[in-house]
Amino acid sequence: MVQEKVRFQPFSSEPIRLVDEQGRWIAPFEHGLPPEQLRRFYRDMLAARLLDEKLVILIRTGKTSFIAPHAGHEAAQVGIAHALRKGHDWLFPYYRDMGLVLALGVPLVEIFGQTLGNAADPAKARQMPSHPGSKALNVFTVCSAIASHIPPATGAALSMKLRRTGQVAVCTFGDGATSEGDWHAGLNFAAVQQAPAVFVCENNRYAISVNISKQTASENIAIKAQAYGIPGYYVDGLDVLASYFVMQEAIERARAGEGPSLVELVVHRFGAHSSADDDSRYRSREELATERQQDPLPRYQRFLEQQGLWDAQWANELRLEISKALEAALQEALQAGEPDPLEMFDDVYAARPWHLEEQRRLLAEELQS
Amino acid sequence: MPTMTLIQAINAALDEEMKRDERVMLLGEDVGRRGGVFLATEGLQQKYGPDRVMDTPLSEAAIIGAAVGLAAHGMRPVAEIQFADYVFPGIDQLFSQAAKLRYRSGGQFSAPMVVRMPTGGGVKGGHHHSQSPEAHFAHTAGLKVIVVSTPYDAKGLLKAAIRDDDPVVFMEPKRLYRAVKEEVPTDEFLLPIGKAAVRRQGRDITLVSYGGSMVETLKAAEEMVAAGLEPEVIDLRTVMPWDKETVLSSAAKTGRLLVISEAPRTASIASEVAATVSEELFDQLLAPPLRVTGFDTPYPLAQDKLYMPTVTRILNAAKRLLDY
Repeated sequence: MVQEKVRFQPFSSEPIRLVDEQGRWIAPFEHGLPPEQLRRFYRDMLAARLLDEKLVILIRTGKTSFIAPHAGHEAAQVGIAHALRKGHDWLFPYYRDMGLVLALGVPLVEIFGQTLGNAADPAKARQMPSHPGSKALNVFTVCSAIASHIPPATGAALSMKLRRTGQVAVCTFGDGATSEGDWHAGLNFAAVQQAPAVFVCENNRYAISVNISKQTASENIAIKAQAYGIPGYYVDGLDVLASYFVMQEAIERARAGEGPSLVELVVHRFGAHSSADDDSRYRSREELATERQQDPLPRYQRFLEQQGLWDAQWANELRLEISKALEAALQEALQAGEPDPLEMFDDVYAARPWHLEEQRRLLAEELQS
Repeated sequence: MPTMTLIQAINAALDEEMKRDERVMLLGEDVGRRGGVFLATEGLQQKYGPDRVMDTPLSEAAIIGAAVGLAAHGMRPVAEIQFADYVFPGIDQLFSQAAKLRYRSGGQFSAPMVVRMPTGGGVKGGHHHSQSPEAHFAHTAGLKVIVVSTPYDAKGLLKAAIRDDDPVVFMEPKRLYRAVKEEVPTDEFLLPIGKAAVRRQGRDITLVSYGGSMVETLKAAEEMVAAGLEPEVIDLRTVMPWDKETVLSSAAKTGRLLVISEAPRTASIASEVAATVSEELFDQLLAPPLRVTGFDTPYPLAQDKLYMPTVTRILNAAKRLLDY
């Protein structure tokens, strides 16, 4: 769908917001979305939240070694997932995007397999948890190195442009990533080539412990787009509909050949940076309590209530259904067992060279003895 | 059969591969309108257009990183880094992205791409236009590393690298770009990655080298021949994965191994070859393997020719082996 009109202005001084804290639709246009899609947004946000809670249980019970909680990012991530064409466009995610890849359709069993680091991980348990990927859904496997996926997203977008595939590369990252040289390199090159890419900052204002005020002197992240000659949208990422509509406009703009853009979705990080972090060392509990008052899920619930689409029984059943699906997928993943240790030597190259054959033999002999 | 310099052979290989496969594209600083600072891509933008021979911003991270995305999405990019000394801003892209993409995705994604770069000294370039960083690349799992020394090899191996399904670092000794001409077929031919070339057969001593140092190695071999010796000379051509079989069978025959490379000594390709031969042929050797290498200093300007292995230094080391 090519946008017939431009709805959003880049470089606004206030975040773009379509639904207010009370759940009222405050935009100057009709949302025009069918009830089932509006409910689907809620379903996917709830699934993302419940997945996050499940991952916290897995870390607390020692079943996984690491998680990067995404609670507080759900509205932004679901908005992104619904704005791109699933399985057609490419997503270049970062490590806090489990809710996003779930909403995009990455199977729960794969998500848990990656989290458990066992044979249920289609990537063969080579990376830490919170590093998903899926060739089938064009989800470029997460790389830990911050912002290193930005130039590859630009490259994929260039390929889409050169071969006129009608695809768009959507690339997400946190606010800390915007300080890396590769972030600049990727945005600059994409802008020069007018490549069909959308760069999306899930700005939770913390890079582990470092506050945004120590990350950048810019007024916000979106404004950095001005330096590259592309639009930058400053958006309330706790508003799923604002996230969705702005992302959709940016994506369809890129698809139409009008070049890349930068979208900043301002969110909260309700958890610590990761399971290896204690955020009470650097963030006051009062600040966190205030942020939790702005939880994107209740806010969207109020919107659905105002639209006459909220039904407590439906919501309860939904919660039950998602919880069951999570538990079933987890149990299935737990059955998968350990990966074959000799798989360690696969996929370094398309075929194993002599030195890897030798080293593989060495390990095989050790395992047999 | 026409004769070509090394740079002409590179240009011919790129031209042929671009003609053969429209997924092949070139990107880098100055590769388009100018045809590259060494003219490796001369005339190609006029022939294939600015989209397939793309001038990029001055950013090695953007060049290599974009190549990763282009390759993952189905193109066959050939990236040019203007000098090997300037690859370092792009190293995170080469090491964290290109080299590990296949592995980290469990074989779901891959980055079939070539990163070309002029390498080595001998052109009065000082330390930022003279280095030989191949050991860094070889030390990173997932990369293949080629260092050519002849026009014929350059063409056959570059074409093979472009068709390879893994990321290949393709290093071109800049002092050899226009040093020699040799006959290079215009017909289609490919050379196997990972296979060394025996430049001269002999039975007294094995000289293993690659890249720019092949020049001094071959000169030293000539002097040995004049002195009545029969050295065997091997050009590795690929340093990752290097051709162990050819080196071992030669060292087993001669009992004496000398490895020559202008790269710094410590943790080098030369060290790896020497260590492997020591491990596998210890009781068949007549002397301990020796290395003649660049020094463990930054590459100096005034001592340009002295930094690299000289014929004298190679002959002295060979004498130590022969007199052992």
